[in-house]
Amino acid sequence: MSAVGAKSTASPIERYKAAFDARWQGNDELTALRRAALDQFLSTGFPTQRDEAWKYTNLRRLETRSFTPADASALDAHQPDWLTTAGTRIVLVNGHWLPALSSQTAQPPGVTVLTLKQWFQREPAAVAAYLKEHDQLTGNALEQLNLAFFEDGVVVNLADNAVLDAPIYIVHQSTTGAAGCMSHPRVMVRAGRNSRATIIEHYLGANEAEYFTNAVTRFEIAAGGAITHYRGQREAPRAFHIGHIQTKLAKDARYSIHDIQLGASLGRTGITAVLEGSGADAALFGLLTPMGTQHLDAHTRIDHIAPHTTSEEDYRGIAGGKGRGVFNGKIIVRPDAQKIDSRQSSRNLLLSPTAEIDTKPELEIYANDVKCSHGATTGQLDATALFYLRSRGLSESDARALLIRAFAESILSTIGLEPVRAALEKQIDERFKLANETKA
Amino acid sequence: MLTIKNLHALAGEKQVLKGLDLEVGAGEVHAIMGPNGSGKSTLAQVLAGREGYSVTDGSVTYKGKDLLALPPEERAREGVFLAFQYPVEIPGVNNVYLLKAGLNAIRKHRGESEMDAFEFLTLVREKMNLMQMDESFLNRGVNEGFSGGEKKRNEILQMAVLEPALALLDETDSGLDIDALRVVANGVNSLRRQDRAIVMVTHYQRLLDYIEPDKVHVLSDGKIIKSGDKSLALELEKRGYDWVKQEAAA
Repeated sequence: MSAVGAKSTASPIERYKAAFDARWQGNDELTALRRAALDQFLSTGFPTQRDEAWKYTNLRRLETRSFTPADASALDAHQPDWLTTAGTRIVLVNGHWLPALSSQTAQPPGVTVLTLKQWFQREPAAVAAYLKEHDQLTGNALEQLNLAFFEDGVVVNLADNAVLDAPIYIVHQSTTGAAGCMSHPRVMVRAGRNSRATIIEHYLGANEAEYFTNAVTRFEIAAGGAITHYRGQREAPRAFHIGHIQTKLAKDARYSIHDIQLGASLGRTGITAVLEGSGADAALFGLLTPMGTQHLDAHTRIDHIAPHTTSEEDYRGIAGGKGRGVFNGKIIVRPDAQKIDSRQSSRNLLLSPTAEIDTKPELEIYANDVKCSHGATTGQLDATALFYLRSRGLSESDARALLIRAFAESILSTIGLEPVRAALEKQIDERFKLANETKA
Repeated sequence: MLTIKNLHALAGEKQVLKGLDLEVGAGEVHAIMGPNGSGKSTLAQVLAGREGYSVTDGSVTYKGKDLLALPPEERAREGVFLAFQYPVEIPGVNNVYLLKAGLNAIRKHRGESEMDAFEFLTLVREKMNLMQMDESFLNRGVNEGFSGGEKKRNEILQMAVLEPALALLDETDSGLDIDALRVVANGVNSLRRQDRAIVMVTHYQRLLDYIEPDKVHVLSDGKIIKSGDKSLALELEKRGYDWVKQEAAA
């Protein structure tokens, strides 16, 4: 760990190559796969703003930093930010599994929860085959970077008809020891026919460190399966966070994600849902809250390949200070995909004159018998509502916080899991009361 | 309780109040009547502290304090309540939450302890009963999807819970059918007390059949041009406003 997250004169490409050579040697199949991924990353480099998908998000600041693979690092015993949920908790610290803090409870029949390393120890060929099949073809340079450098992750297998009542809680924690480091965790969920589970991913960093999290999460949901995915991003204030979520849905499968972005200096989630079987349904709910100088980006792509598929998308942005938010929602309806029902809504609230939110719905519709609606609005807090609340005795800062909370409520109310919703409500309230006090 | 002297105020850029004087004592009910554009609503907004209205001259003294120096929430905590002509819909903020937050802010200001959940709900249920409101209103968004009549009832419910010393009712009768008007008027009448003043701003005499005022004032072109008892309202109903204006000009 010689280079700390400072600017470096070596080109980013050279630095990542050197970091790779220092970390991964050997000629096994997995290392070969990693090397191929690295080569692909090296050949394209970081995306630039000339790339349409990165038009509003400049990665130059990330690119100029030097990050090296992170070690596992000790954690404080007390982690007040973790949710208390029943069921399995898996803690990854700086991308490494920490068994001492994890609690892998006994799973019901048909459910397997492993770390990626555990799976690799059991079935190395299967891991390589899986990664080869699912990752080598993505054109996304940062996903390739994850494949090149991932240390560990979580693998969830749900057999046909397996139903998991308690959520699986995955904590991605970055420590002070993560300064100047990068981690590339992966979560892979394979859900069998008519199986059902809830996955919580929680990205946290309670420190002043500058670090880089580049996470991949994949779901494959077989016919009739249903996955609920809560993804809370509360990285440390100087962190970079890039998340890649890809879900494939077979016939009558359902997937919903609640993409809540609160932390990081620069954060982005890229979500792709591919509706491959008729009757499949994807629901994407998101909340972006860039404050200060934060830049938070949600980039979604819903691909209606099969006919009779449905999708719903509701994103809200709340930007204050010099915060900048980006929502880019692409919906594709393939030529033979008739009888599609798709709704998209992006609503944004600007709390200061220097805040900015760019919202860009993109509809590519090649079928003719479809129902697709989309709407985008950006506005400020309603002055009349603010006065109404103050005229009932509420302070200006309480009135503002209440209206902000009310704006966020339509996303928070989609969160069915009580401990997750309660924690988020508290965080939203704290966040915006604080912002109002500093404003005055 | 309330003394307004030579009040001049702008609504936006426009001079609307042009030297208004008014004296309201504790326990009194005043009606301020006047044609459209005379400045009735501006007066209500200025007293409640709405942004976008600026006082250019004159003074407003409430319980010995300079009311105009206080921000809206301080006025509310000191006991001033405005029932809005157009109550605002605020989806995502519960009615019951607003009532509780408002009441507790006012109690805290008075040095009283916050009400516990049980006490509070008992109080609210009693007042809802008075306003003939269903309990389902509590957990709905503030005025969200309410009919015109429901919104006005909700204003008076808030007044009943917050127990102001000075209530300003801005066109509370507008948009109400006769049954809703009765309910609202009953609510207001039940809140008449020796230590509470009520100022109603209205275009029509109709409201005054249900809430009997002690004094009636005619507001025209930003000034009060005539004051009297409730018989003045009946006369206005019969003869319109022009004769008062002519009398004032003479």
